[in-house]
Amino acid sequence: MLKFTFRRLSLFVFTMLVLTLLSFSLSFLFPGDTVINHSGQINATPTELVQLNKAYQMDKGLFTQYVAYVSHILSGDFGQSMASQSPIRDEIIELLPATIELSLVALLVAMLIGIPLGFIAAINHNKVSDNAILSMAMLGYSIPVFWLGLLAILVFSIGLGWLPSAGQISLLFEIELVTGIQFIDILLSDSPYKWQAFSDASAHIILPACVVALAPATIFIRLSRAAMIEVLATSYIRAARAKGLSFKQIIFRHAIRNALIQIIRHVGLQFANLVTLAMVTEVIFSWPGIGRWLIESIAQRDYTAIQSGLLVLSCFIFIIHILTDFIYAALNPLARGNKYGS
Amino acid sequence: MAREKIYLEESFPSPFIQLWGIFRKTPVAMLGFCCFIFLVVLAIFAPIIAPYSPVDGNLDMILLPPAWHDNGNVSYLLGTDELGRDMLSRLMYGTSLTFGLSFIVVVFSLVIGVIIGSLSALTKGIKSSFLNHFLDVVLSIPSLLLAIIIVAILGPGISNTVWAIAIVFIPQFIHITRYAVKEEFRKDYVLASRLDGASNFRILYYSVFPNIVERLMSQATLAQSAAILDIATLGFLGLGAQIPLPEWGAILANGLEHFYVAPWTVYLPGLAILFAVVATNLVGEGIRHALKLRKES
Repeated sequence: MLKFTFRRLSLFVFTMLVLTLLSFSLSFLFPGDTVINHSGQINATPTELVQLNKAYQMDKGLFTQYVAYVSHILSGDFGQSMASQSPIRDEIIELLPATIELSLVALLVAMLIGIPLGFIAAINHNKVSDNAILSMAMLGYSIPVFWLGLLAILVFSIGLGWLPSAGQISLLFEIELVTGIQFIDILLSDSPYKWQAFSDASAHIILPACVVALAPATIFIRLSRAAMIEVLATSYIRAARAKGLSFKQIIFRHAIRNALIQIIRHVGLQFANLVTLAMVTEVIFSWPGIGRWLIESIAQRDYTAIQSGLLVLSCFIFIIHILTDFIYAALNPLARGNKYGS
Repeated sequence: MAREKIYLEESFPSPFIQLWGIFRKTPVAMLGFCCFIFLVVLAIFAPIIAPYSPVDGNLDMILLPPAWHDNGNVSYLLGTDELGRDMLSRLMYGTSLTFGLSFIVVVFSLVIGVIIGSLSALTKGIKSSFLNHFLDVVLSIPSLLLAIIIVAILGPGISNTVWAIAIVFIPQFIHITRYAVKEEFRKDYVLASRLDGASNFRILYYSVFPNIVERLMSQATLAQSAAILDIATLGFLGLGAQIPLPEWGAILANGLEHFYVAPWTVYLPGLAILFAVVATNLVGEGIRHALKLRKES
C-alpha cells in the first residue's frame, strides 16, 4: 500500500506539473500581452506594468518565468478577472463549491439509479427486462444534455409547476457563506427558517442534478451489468450455490459486494464526463457555479479567468480521480500491483 | 481432416468479413446502419434535396407550425422559424454541418491517433511511462472543457470548433490503439511472423491491424456520438457555428427566444440530434455485439 501511495503521489505531482505548464503556455497562446494575460490587469499604468514584469520575471528565460508563475499560483494569486477586475481567487472560492455540490449530488443520484438497474439487468441476463433496461440506457446516453434540461424546465417548472427552474436557492433566504456548500451552510446557520431554507434548496437542486445524472447513470447501468455478469459466472458463486444458499443470500452476500468493487474503479473516470455535463447544465439552470462562469468568461474574452478556471476544474477532477483510486486499492489488494512502464 | 469440396477453392473469410456476416443478422444493428447511411447521404446531397435555402427567409411565413398542425402549411412541412426560414431545409443542411463534420473529425483523429498510438506501442521504458502519464492527464480533463479552451485560443467559429474537437479526440485513439497493439504483440501469431523474420512495421501492417480494426471502429462510433453532441453543445453555447449557419445546436439556441410561441423550433433540432446519436450508437452497439459473438464462436 505504501508503494502504491508513493506511485499515486508521483503521478499527482506530474499531473500538476503538466497542468500548470498548460495554463502557463495558454498566456502565450491567447491574444494580447503575456504578462497581462497572467495577471489580468488590463488597465495597468506603465509603472505597474514594470512591477508586473518584475513579479513574473518576464525579462528572464522561460524556465524562470514558469517558476515565477507557479509560485504565484501556489501562493494563491491567480491574478485578476479581466472583466470584473476582482481577484479570481475570491470568485473561485465563491463559485467552485456550488459546482462541487451539484456534481456530487448528481454522482450520487446516478449511482443510486444506475447501479441497481444494472444489477437487475444482469440477474435477468438476456431476458426482456435486460433488453428493456439496455435500450433505455442507450436512449438516455444519446439525449443532448442541453435539450434535456430545456424539456425538464418545460415539463416540471412551467407545465406542472412542481420545481423551480433557476438558481440555487430562493432569494428570500439569507444564508451566511461559511463553507460555500449550500446544504452545510444552511445546517450551520442559526436562522429560524433553517428547515424551510433546506427544503427550498433541495427543491432547487433536484432538476439540475437529475439532468446531469442521466447520462452517467446509463454508463453506471452498463458498468454494473458487465461487472455483475462477470461475477455471477465465477466459481465461488457456483460454490455458494452448491452449498445450498438461497438466491437472495448469493446476490446480497457475495455477488453485490464483489461487483461493487469493480464499479468503484470507474467512478473517477466518469467524473470528468459528469463535470462537463454539469458545466452545460449550469448555464441552462442559471446555477451559480464555475462552469457558467467559465463559459461567460469566453464570451467576455476574460483570458485570465479561462486559464485559472481550467486549472482549478481539472485539479478538482484529478483529486476525485486519485481518491477513487485509493478507495479502490484499499478495497481490492489485487489493484496495488505494477501498472505503468512495464 | 478430409476436404469436403475437392474442386472448389476453400475460402477463409477475413475477420472483417466474418464480423459483417454476424452484424447483418442483427436487425436492430442493421436498422441503425440504414439510418446512418441515410444521414450520410443526406449530409452529402442536402443542397440538392432541400426545398428552400437555409438562410433566406420568407417574411410572409413567419413562425409557421409544422404541417400536421391546424395552422400548418404543407409546402413548409416542418414549419418555419422567426425569420420565415424553412425548418426542414435548415435541418437538412444542418445534417452536413453537425453529422457530416463530426464524421470527418472522427476519421481525421482516428488516422492521426492510430499512427501515433501504434508507433508508441513499440516503445518501452521511460518514454512509454511518460506518454502514459501524459495521456492520463489529457484524458482526465473533460473533453468539452478542453474544446472550450481551444476555441478560446482560436476564437469562436465552426472551423475552429472542428479543430478543437479533433485535437480532443486524438488522445483517446492513441490510448486505445496503443493498448490494442500491445495486447496483440504478446500473442503467438506475432511471434510466429517475427520468427519468419518480419520487421516490426510489417507485423504491424499485415498481422496486427486486421485484428484490431473492428475495435478501432467501435471506438470510432463512440467518438462520433460524442463528437455530434460536442459540436451541438458548442453551437448551443454560441461558441461553435455562428448566426446564419443551420447547425443543429445553433438552431436550437436560436429557437429559445420563441420557446413558448413556437416550441417546434426547439424540439425538432433536439430530435434530429437524438436521431443521429442513436443511429451512431446502434451501429457501435452492433459492432460490439458481433465482436463478442465472433469471439465466442
